[in-house]
This record gives sequence, C-alpha cells and structure tokens, in this order.
Amino acid sequence: MATPKPPSASDRQAKIQAAQKSQGSGANKIVVATVVVVVAIIAVVGGVVWSQSQKEAATGTSTAVPAGASMGKGYPAFAGVTAAAGAPTVDLYEDFQCPVCGQFEAALGSTFQDLASQGKVKLNYHVLNFLDDKTGAKNSTPAANGAFCAAADGKFQEFHDAAFADQVAEGEDVTDDKLAAWAGTAGITGDALTTWQKCVADGTYTRYVTSVNEAAFKVPGFQGTPTVMINGEMVDLGTIGTPELLTQAIEDATT
Amino acid sequence: MSTEMDDATPVAVVEPPPAGRERVLDAVGLVLRLFLGAVLIYAGATKIGHPLTSQRAVQAYELLPDGLANTIGLALPFVEVVLGVLLVLGLFTRPAAIAATVLMVAFVIGISQAWARGLTIDCGCFGGGGQIGASETKYPQEIARDVVFALAGVWLWWRPRSLASLDRILFGP
Repeated sequence: MATPKPPSASDRQAKIQAAQKSQGSGANKIVVATVVVVVAIIAVVGGVVWSQSQKEAATGTSTAVPAGASMGKGYPAFAGVTAAAGAPTVDLYEDFQCPVCGQFEAALGSTFQDLASQGKVKLNYHVLNFLDDKTGAKNSTPAANGAFCAAADGKFQEFHDAAFADQVAEGEDVTDDKLAAWAGTAGITGDALTTWQKCVADGTYTRYVTSVNEAAFKVPGFQGTPTVMINGEMVDLGTIGTPELLTQAIEDATT
Repeated sequence: MSTEMDDATPVAVVEPPPAGRERVLDAVGLVLRLFLGAVLIYAGATKIGHPLTSQRAVQAYELLPDGLANTIGLALPFVEVVLGVLLVLGLFTRPAAIAATVLMVAFVIGISQAWARGLTIDCGCFGGGGQIGASETKYPQEIARDVVFALAGVWLWWRPRSLASLDRILFGP
C-alpha cells in the first residue's frame, strides 16, 4: 500500500536544478569580481584625486615670486650690495623646520651675512618645505611664507634670523601668533604689517617655495637641509664648521 | 529509503575531509596571505597623506618621466592597500597574489637598477625615500626583503587555497 511513487521526470529536473544552484554556494563569482574590481578602481582613482587635491592645497596657486628670484630658483639676499669681482656664489638650502639648520644658523649664519653684506659672496637662500610633507606639521611652509612676505618689506633677513633664533620644534605647527612674533622681531610695523598679514594668510609664496623645494631635490646628490654650495659645488659641512673655516673656504673660492 | 537515496545522488559532491598534508598547506597559505597582506597595507598606509614625499621617492629612481612618476607616486599607496586588503580577506587570492608578486618584482628591478647605476637612494618602500648618502644605502637588504615578499606572492599564486578565506566561504572549496 505505502509503496512510494517513483519520482516523476519533472521532480528530478527540479532537484538537479536545486543541486546545481547550491553547488555555486550562493555567490556568483562574476558578480563578486565585478564588484571588487569596481570598488578597487574607485579606491585607487579616488585616492589619487584626493592626494592630488591635498598636494594642490599644500602647493597653492599664486604665481608670486620674491624680488630677484623666479620659480625654482633661490632668493638673492643683500640684493643692494654689489659683490666684489670674483666673489663666489653661495647657495644655502634651508628648511625653517630643520633642527640642524637652526644649529647651522646659530654657528655660521652671521658669518654668511657678514660676507654677503661686504660683497665677498653672492648669497642665495633656497628656502625649502619638504619637512611639512614628511612630518605632517604646518611649519616650514608658513614660516617660509612669512619670510618672503617680509622680503616685500625688505625684512627677509631679519625675519629669517628671528625664525631660526626662536625655532619651532620639528613636527610642531608654526602658529599665527608665532609668525606675528617673528614679524615683530623683524621690525615689520604699520601698513607693512597689514600687508604682511594678508600675504601670510594667502600663502602667497607657497607655490614658489614648493618649486624651489622640487628643484633642490633634483640636484644630483642633494639629500636635505642644510646644504651649502659654493660656486655650484656641494660642500662637506665639516670643512666649513667654524666662522674661520668658512671665511677661509670663501677666500679660497674667490677668483 | 529510496527518496533519501534519490536526494543524495545528484548532490554527491560532499568533499572528503582534506588530508593532513592539505590542511597544513592551507594553514601555510593563511599565514602567507596575512603576512603579505599586512606588509602591503602597512607599506601603503605609511605613504598616504605624504603625496610630495611619495612622488619624490618615485622620482629618485630616475626611471620614469616626472609626470608618470608623480602619478605612480600618488596611486601606488592605494594599490598596495587594495591588494593588501584582498589578501587579508582571502578574496580573489590568486589574482591579488599575482599582482603583488609583479609589484615586488618591479620593486626589485627598480632598486637593482638604482644600485647598478650608482644612484644613492632610499627605496621609499615604507614611506620616506629619495636621495641619501652613499654610506646609508641598504640595497642588499631592501632587495632581499622584497624577494621574500615576492616568494610569499609566488606561493599564493601557485596555491591560492588557504584556511579562513572569503574565496572558500563565497565560492566553496
């Protein structure tokens, strides 16, 4: 009586189909692959676009360059001084955030400036900002802007010296108050101070500084700051470590 | 009785439990996947947010025109993270492993050519990069390290099966 009915052909078909479905374990490989590829492309392309915008924000769009300089080129200090015939060109690469640059300036900064103001060297400052990208701090770039905004008022040197004498630690932000304090030390006042403040707030020289930074790292053998070049030759800092050694090296380079 | 039999017949794909050796190899696959994945995620993450440094690191190899080097400098960190995530999840393990291996081989070639040409650079493998002093170069260590990563990639390329992978959960053994 209770003999089970032999399964009909259509029953079999349904079972085979069900089995085939469950063999795929539910997920369609092509669908999953498409989703993964799309997500991966969005992640990479989105990442590039985001990085690019971050870079542009860090670079700025202003085409302003300080007097006597151009994009990628150093800033000629003591432009009013006529250098003696045969005086060597000295290129100084510094980053306001670099602690060794602070020590270097404390030891030799005034000697460089004396030599330049006496016309014994043609002094170019290459102010870099690579440490901002490296440390993530807003330090080198605002400080560099502060210096070149001060240059518009003829106070580059004063601001530069103030910033190194009262240097902000590597990895820490340079605040607006700190910038204002350096401007005060540099002697920027009155209308010039208002102009300076707007210049700093606008990041007027950010693009210039970034261009100088990029150019510096394309110099063969350039590793970072401080770097000194006399007549285009990179100098081992140990050989000019004291004011006497530096003065001697400059005399030797004078033709 | 007969109905039960009938149920089982077309579905008769029940896997025999993997032999001991297979299970060990699957475990090795899992370890290598997590290792290579973690390395790639770390390598990418340390570069993200430092676009200029990252671009300079690629430029320092002096292998590509600046425009292309800059694009690679921006894209590479995200490619590394994506591949790393796929490997950690065990999703499309073989394609991810192939890509990771190709990437590592490219790095080895890049570092080797820099060494052979007498450039003095940091590989920038985990952030940083750029020109450094001749005495500070670590070419043999950098190459050896990337070769180890490439070998992990080759293993997963050759045998992508591993324990606890999304591949297995989604697509079956």
